[in-house]
Amino acid sequence: MAGILDFAPAIVLLPFVSFLVALAVGDRLPKGGALAGIAATAGSLLLAAATFLTVSGGQTYNATIYTWAEGLNAVDLSFGLLIDPLSAMMLLIVTLIAFLVHVFSLGYMNDEGETGLPRYYAGLGLFTASMLGFVVANNLLMAFMFFELVGLCSYLLIGFHFREPGPPSAAKKAFLVTRFGDYFFLVGVVAVFATFGTAAFAGDGSFPVLAEAALNGEAGSVTTFGFAPQTWFTIVGLLILGGVIGKSAQFPLHTWLPDAMEGPTPVSALIHAATMVAAGVYLVARMYGFYALSPNALAIIAFVGGFTALFAATMGVVKREIKQVLAYSTISQYGYMMLGLGGGGYVAATFHLMTHAFFKALLFLGAGSVIIAMHHNENMWDMGGLKDKMPVTYYTFLSGSLALAGIVPFAGFWSKDEVLYETLIHGLGGNPILLGAYAMGLLAVFFTGFYTFRMVFLTFHGNPRSQTARDPHGVGWNVKAPLVVLGVLAATAGLVNMVPVEKLLGIKGIDFLHQWLDGGYASLTAHHYGELIPYSSSYIGSEATTVALGAGISLGLALAGAGLAYLLYDVPEPIRHTDRLGRIKTLLYNNYYQDEYQVWLANGVTRPVARAANKFDGGIVDGVVNGVSSVSLFSGSRIRRIQTGVVSNYAALLTLGLTALLVAFGLLGGWFV
Amino acid sequence: MIIEALIAVTFLAALVVFVAPDEYAGRLAAALSALPVLGSLWMWAQYDASGNALLGGSIAFETDFVWLTLGSLDLHWFVGVDGISLPLVVLTTILSTLAIISAWTPISERQSQFYGLMLFMEANLLGVFTALDFFAWFVFWEAVLVPMYFLIGVWGGPNRRYAAIKFFVYTNVASLVMFIGFIALVFGLGDSVSSMRLPEIAQALRAGELAGFAGLNAGMLKTVAFVAMFLGFAVKVPVAPLHTWLPDAHVEAPTPVSVMLAGVLLKMGTYALLRFNFTMMPDVATALVVPIAGIAVISVIYGALLALAQQDLKRIVAYSSVSSMGYVILGLVAYTTYGVGGATFQMIAHGLISGLMFMAVGVIYNTTHTRMVGDMSGIADRMPVTAGIFVAGAFGYMGLPLMAGFAGEFFIFKGSFASTVHSGMPLFTAAAMFGIVIVAGYLLFAMQRTLFGPFSFDGDYEITTAPMQDVAPLAVLLLLVIVLGVAPDLFFGMIQDAVNPILTGGGL
Repeated sequence: MAGILDFAPAIVLLPFVSFLVALAVGDRLPKGGALAGIAATAGSLLLAAATFLTVSGGQTYNATIYTWAEGLNAVDLSFGLLIDPLSAMMLLIVTLIAFLVHVFSLGYMNDEGETGLPRYYAGLGLFTASMLGFVVANNLLMAFMFFELVGLCSYLLIGFHFREPGPPSAAKKAFLVTRFGDYFFLVGVVAVFATFGTAAFAGDGSFPVLAEAALNGEAGSVTTFGFAPQTWFTIVGLLILGGVIGKSAQFPLHTWLPDAMEGPTPVSALIHAATMVAAGVYLVARMYGFYALSPNALAIIAFVGGFTALFAATMGVVKREIKQVLAYSTISQYGYMMLGLGGGGYVAATFHLMTHAFFKALLFLGAGSVIIAMHHNENMWDMGGLKDKMPVTYYTFLSGSLALAGIVPFAGFWSKDEVLYETLIHGLGGNPILLGAYAMGLLAVFFTGFYTFRMVFLTFHGNPRSQTARDPHGVGWNVKAPLVVLGVLAATAGLVNMVPVEKLLGIKGIDFLHQWLDGGYASLTAHHYGELIPYSSSYIGSEATTVALGAGISLGLALAGAGLAYLLYDVPEPIRHTDRLGRIKTLLYNNYYQDEYQVWLANGVTRPVARAANKFDGGIVDGVVNGVSSVSLFSGSRIRRIQTGVVSNYAALLTLGLTALLVAFGLLGGWFV
Repeated sequence: MIIEALIAVTFLAALVVFVAPDEYAGRLAAALSALPVLGSLWMWAQYDASGNALLGGSIAFETDFVWLTLGSLDLHWFVGVDGISLPLVVLTTILSTLAIISAWTPISERQSQFYGLMLFMEANLLGVFTALDFFAWFVFWEAVLVPMYFLIGVWGGPNRRYAAIKFFVYTNVASLVMFIGFIALVFGLGDSVSSMRLPEIAQALRAGELAGFAGLNAGMLKTVAFVAMFLGFAVKVPVAPLHTWLPDAHVEAPTPVSVMLAGVLLKMGTYALLRFNFTMMPDVATALVVPIAGIAVISVIYGALLALAQQDLKRIVAYSSVSSMGYVILGLVAYTTYGVGGATFQMIAHGLISGLMFMAVGVIYNTTHTRMVGDMSGIADRMPVTAGIFVAGAFGYMGLPLMAGFAGEFFIFKGSFASTVHSGMPLFTAAAMFGIVIVAGYLLFAMQRTLFGPFSFDGDYEITTAPMQDVAPLAVLLLLVIVLGVAPDLFFGMIQDAVNPILTGGGL
């Protein structure tokens, strides 16, 4: 086991060190601590790459490295690292995106003359470290702890511009809404400990393995609180899912995410592609062996995911600001990942997590580049014609958009297609909920194609619609280089897992991701999950027909959406076609009034209840106390007489009191005789 | 003899400071209060006892001799610490010193008396946490009230007299109820005990040697005494609905006094509940688990809702103490290692974090002379370091992992969810846990409105960065909160060691 994997803790610690450096001496460093962050994330990236190579050689690592609380006649609570194919892949994604975001920040923050840079880079460092700690966690408690730290960092970074009214409010909302989800997660963590006595993800004594044994009727030491094991595991799984729904911005806890656009754009890239939002879905993948035991939990995951994918995509259609469109696309895309996980497509969902990380980071950084060019005006109706002024941004952004819309052969096509395919075949096996979720996911493809290309055409095509768009601000290498790296990845990352090609053309062995996720610990392999999934699958005609049909329909829908956007918006002077939707547009523009009811729950229900409680407390509870005391010996007037303010009196009273106490004691003691 | 030395040095320091000139009373008090800090840290380093002091475990730094004899009952001078009390001793000394330093800025009148009383209070608190004989313990317990009464009544805000009297009368009546309950037990034990040393009484009670008294049979007497003592201690904790003295006392008390009140004095209540009710009479406690856990849940949720309704920063923190102490009660009644151990750990964690929050509010108040949420906004622009520590402390209060509050709360939740004392414990736990959402709500709202947003302030004072002497105690507390959050085993090991004997035998 010795070797490079022993350095895995350094992947987490390096960005943490950069946090400390930026916090302590960032204002005395050149670039406000940016270089420390870049060096740290570059180091982490190299180590993560080395880890990835080692894991691909068949090595894995699962060890406790620090006992947080040592139980005496009770379980230990510990921190440990679990390096297997899933976490090794995620480490590589997170460190790569974090590194590119740091570099991009040089252009977006430093070159734009922002203040408070040490605070910014400290936040980025802590954010990266927290996410990496979450990724390598080998037990659920550690995962929860870093999950919460990720939430703190999002609060600090979304609220970075704290002198303005918007960002602090958005930061508060992000933390509060995700905290609501995390409440259920924490109950779930506690329940896992109470049920299994352990929260380990991997190994013979891990909780997914114990749960599987309990369902197979093997006598074990699980406590199910009077429920049938199947029911109880579903309850626990759904409790933990609360945290996932909050962090991964699934309906109905998605409302924080569009507001979180108040944060600096590189932070949005980090949050959406590789850290906070990814954390939720990653958690389900991490403990998939547990979820795979419960068909009901899986069906709920799939349905929530499918619904969110469609629901968010429709809202993305009418937004005016480029970052808002991207925000809703994030919610929608994470819906696909949930759909994949719930639909039994563990590899498909993980695949989409990876491709999405690349193309969404790319799109946010591209939007950041546009925003620099537009002097921080984010309204797409003021843009237009930027294609010729900023070709690097345009072509990379186009690559990301093709991936997002799911156009072959860009990365998003392969992963989204596999998500839909897995859901379809498992749904065909006799699960109508999955088929419903599949239908929603499929419909969302059309909207995705439309809003994506509406955004592209409004931003880059046509005639410039404002003075800044006619004469945009240039961007430097530090903006372009990350775009190019991600642009290439968004175009090609899908090639690692061309399942349709394999199945249609019969070329064996090109589903590299399937092979990759089949390595490592036996209880954590895709193969094992495949055996656990209680769904049966069936096909429309043959397997090849189903593959071809599924891919054809989703590609057709994506092209139809993109084509409609092309017809409507790829003109010199586009007009606001969505106005024709009338009241539907108002509904969509106001996000189905989801924010309103949640704000109402906070301000219209909770606050009045709190005020009523306060009134009750002051009037009744305290009133009784005062009532009792006013009829008692200590009436106010008597007390006032001894409140003379002369300290010698107080001292005398003090002495007297103690003496009286002693005398009373003596008397009491005397009674014993 | 280290404990006697600790108490005596603190008493002497109080006397010296009391007669010292005002000009340097604060500095002198801080310097002298460093001695008990060093002493308590030395005790922590040298600690080698094991088990529970009341249940036959070895007692560290023990002294035991007969002081005087009352009839057939010997009164002992009996002091010592175990894994439950030592962390509280360390908390008391450290928090006292920091509170004294935090008083340098706001306290400008009668300084020598103020600092003298603070040290006098510290000495008595050390007595409360180390005394193992009821007589000495009760003297210290009552004597803590006296300096607190004057500290609120003389140096407090506009409504200080009402608050001080309310505090004094309320807690004194509670002490009386508790006293009667305990003495009834001693009567009921009759000749089976020869002194009021707490180990003797605890072991006799757990061995079932209680006889009837005053017309009550043994079982009934035990229940009545348990309830009387529970109510007496519950006022101090405080649990809802016996908490109304607390916000008044906090609002009127000067910052350093609030720090001591929330940080240490409330822990007297939970410490006594653990030592008396839950250690001596586990059978009654487990029989009454539903009302006790119910009170815990109500304290958590009701306290948090009250905090949500407040506009005064200090009242927000004050009510949130009611909420946090509800968790402690829940942990105690769970009777598991993590439940009771977590409750004990939470006493320390909450002591540090609530001290930190009160101090942070005080530092803002020193500059702005207001604590009302609506009176200021964007303070972080002018006081960045204070605001940063405030944010960190608030997240600590919300139970952010790797800070002490999370450790305490998680241990409690873990312990009480898995508790077998009642089949409803998972539901009680889940209900109480919702407090973590409400606490985030009111602290985030308060921070958004006071610290962030565009700077505006209506008062006549210039808002500038706080002086070093104000910020340093905050920074120290924050550091301690993080250290304990990352390494809870610094205390949690010895706590579990002392807690585990409570959970076994003796009618559980």
